[in-house]
Amino acid sequence: MGGFWSHVVEPGFFQSQTVQVALLVGGVVAAISGVVGVFAVLRGQSFAGHAFGDISAAGGAGAFLLNISPLFGFLGMSLVAAGCMEAIGVRRVRGRDVATGVVLGAGLGTSALFLYFNTTLHSTSGAAISVLFGSLFVISSSTVPAVVASAAGALAIVLLLYRPLLLSSVGDDIAASRGVAVRVTGAVFLLAMAATVALAAITIGAILSTALLVGPAATALRMTKRPGTAAASAAAIGVAATWLGCLLAYDSYYWPPVDHGWPVSFCIVAVILISYLVVEVARSHRLRNASARAGSADQTTAAAPHPGVPSHGGPDALGASRTD
Amino acid sequence: MRIRATSRPSRTAVAATAVAATAVAALLGGACATAPLAGAAPSGKPRTVVAVAAENGYADVISQIGGRYVTVTAIMSNPNTDPHTFESSARVSREVGAARLVVQNGLGYDSFMTRIEQASPSSSRKVIDVQRLLGLPDSTPNPHLWYKPTTMPAVAKAVAKVLTHFQPAHAAYFQRDLQVFDASLAPYDRELARIKSAFPHAMVATTEPVADYMLQAAGVDDMTPWALQADIMNTVDPPPQGVSLQDDLLTGRKVGALVYNEQVTSSVTEAFLKLAQASRIPVVGVYETMPTPGYHFQTWMLAEADALYDALAHRTSSPKL
Repeated sequence: MGGFWSHVVEPGFFQSQTVQVALLVGGVVAAISGVVGVFAVLRGQSFAGHAFGDISAAGGAGAFLLNISPLFGFLGMSLVAAGCMEAIGVRRVRGRDVATGVVLGAGLGTSALFLYFNTTLHSTSGAAISVLFGSLFVISSSTVPAVVASAAGALAIVLLLYRPLLLSSVGDDIAASRGVAVRVTGAVFLLAMAATVALAAITIGAILSTALLVGPAATALRMTKRPGTAAASAAAIGVAATWLGCLLAYDSYYWPPVDHGWPVSFCIVAVILISYLVVEVARSHRLRNASARAGSADQTTAAAPHPGVPSHGGPDALGASRTD
Repeated sequence: MRIRATSRPSRTAVAATAVAATAVAALLGGACATAPLAGAAPSGKPRTVVAVAAENGYADVISQIGGRYVTVTAIMSNPNTDPHTFESSARVSREVGAARLVVQNGLGYDSFMTRIEQASPSSSRKVIDVQRLLGLPDSTPNPHLWYKPTTMPAVAKAVAKVLTHFQPAHAAYFQRDLQVFDASLAPYDRELARIKSAFPHAMVATTEPVADYMLQAAGVDDMTPWALQADIMNTVDPPPQGVSLQDDLLTGRKVGALVYNEQVTSSVTEAFLKLAQASRIPVVGVYETMPTPGYHFQTWMLAEADALYDALAHRTSSPKL
C-alpha cells in the first residue's frame, strides 16, 4: 500500500516550498472563485468574468514591464475594466455583450503591446506564457498576504450583499420593488468579480481564469439549486480540483518528457472539466431513471428519454426493471 | 583594422580582468598599427564587404578579421534582453537582404535568419552557419556555441576564407588578422586551463546553459540538472522537483558558485539568486550577448572566465560585467 501511495503522491510533494505556496494560493483563489462564480453564473455574467481575465492580462504584462508583482497588475487592470464595463452599460442585457467585447479586445491588444515591449526591452523571460497560462508553481511566497487579503475583500462583499445579489439575480424589477439598490449592488459585485478573476489569473493564467470562476460554480449548480449550498460546494470543488491539479502536475515530473513537468494550469482545468462531466452524466442518469420510473408508473410515457439527453438504452432498461 | 573605442565602463572590472583585457587590447592595437602597412590599402575609403551577424559576438569577430574592408551589422546586440525571445523586424530583413556575408549560430537560436535568407535568395551571398561549420547535429541540446573555445577560431577562419573570396587582393591582410585573432584568444585559454588545474572538478550551479561549454572547458562540474536549465532557457516553468534540487545545492552550499545568466531571468532565477546570496555563494554573471561598449569577444570571454576563477579562488561575487 505504501508503494502505491508513493506513486500517487510522489516523494517530496508536501516538503517542497514551491508546492506549499501553490497549494495555499491555489486553495484560497479556488475557494473565492467558487463562491463568486456561483453568483456570476446565476446573474448570467460568465462572459463578463471571462472578459476580466483577458483584460487583466494587460495589467499582468504591464507588471512584468514595470518589474512589480504580477498580482497588482492583474488586480489594478481588472478593477479598471470593471469601472469601464459599468460605465459602458454592462447591467443592460442588450449592452452587456457589446460593452464586454469592446473592452476585452482592447485589453488583449494592450497586453500584446506590453509583452512585445517586454521581450524587446527586458531580460525577463516567459512573461507571455506566465500571463496567459499561469505559473502556479512559480508564485513568490511574498505575494501570499496580498492574495489572502484580496480574496477576503471579495468574500466580504459577497457576504454583505448576499440577499440583494440573490434578489437582483432573479430580476432587477423584483429586487428594486423590495428596496434593493440594484445598480450599486451590481457595480460592487462587479468589483468583487474583477478581484476574483485577477486572483484566478495569477493562478492558472488570464485566459484560463474563467475555468476556475465558472467551472466549479456550474458543476455545483448542477447538483443543487440552493445558492448557499451551491457556493460552498463550488468552493469545495474548486479547491479539490486545484489541489488535485497541483498533485498531477507534480507527479507529471515522472511522465514523458521525464524530468520536466506538465503545466499545472492544464492539470487543474482538466480536473475541473472532468468533475463537470461526471456530475452532468450522473445528473442525466438520475433524470432518466426518474422519468423511466414515472413512465413505468403510469404506463403511458414508458421509457421516454429525458429531453435533450441522448438515449443509451442500457441504464434506462436497468432502472426500469429495478423499479418493477 | 577598425576597432571601436574601448572605453571600459566603470562598473566593470575585477582588477585581474582589467589587466588581462588591457593585454588583449594591446595585442589588437598592435595589429591596428601594422595592418595598413602590409594591407597595401589605397588612401581613402576602401570598398567594403557588407556583412551581417545574427549575434554581436560573431559580428565582432568579422570586424576583427575584415578590418577596414568590411561593414558589419549585428542583429542581436542588446545585452539587456533575452535573445531566445527575439522578434525579427523589417529592418533585419533589409540588412540580411543586402549582406554578402552572413554569420549565424544555428541550432534554432536564430532560426529567423534562415527564413529571411530564403525569402530573399541571393547567389552571391555566403552564409556561415556555425552549427554546420562545426558539424553539429540538430539534436545538439545547448545552442550557445560561442562559449566553446574551439568555435571562434573556426568561425574566424571561415570568415577569412569568405572575405578572401570576395576580395582576393587583400588575402594577406585577412590572413594576418586571423593569426592575430587566434593569438589573442590565448589568455582566455590559459585562464580556463588555470581553473582546470587549480580547481579540478569544482562544483557550480547554473540557472541556464549559456556558459556550459565554457564550464566544461574549465573542467568544472555543473551540478544543476540539464532539464532545469533547459526549462529556464525555453521559458517553461520548471517543476517543483527541479527547483528543490537546485535549492538544496545552494542552501546546502554544495557548489562553489552560481553561474547566473543575466539575460534569461524570471522569478525562478531571481529566487535562486537570492538564495545564493543568502547562502554566501558567489555569483558569476554571464551573458548571451556581448556586453557593449567596452568589450570585444576575447575580453568578454576572458572577463567571465576571470570572474569564475575569482569566485572559486576568493569567493568573489561578480553578478554583472
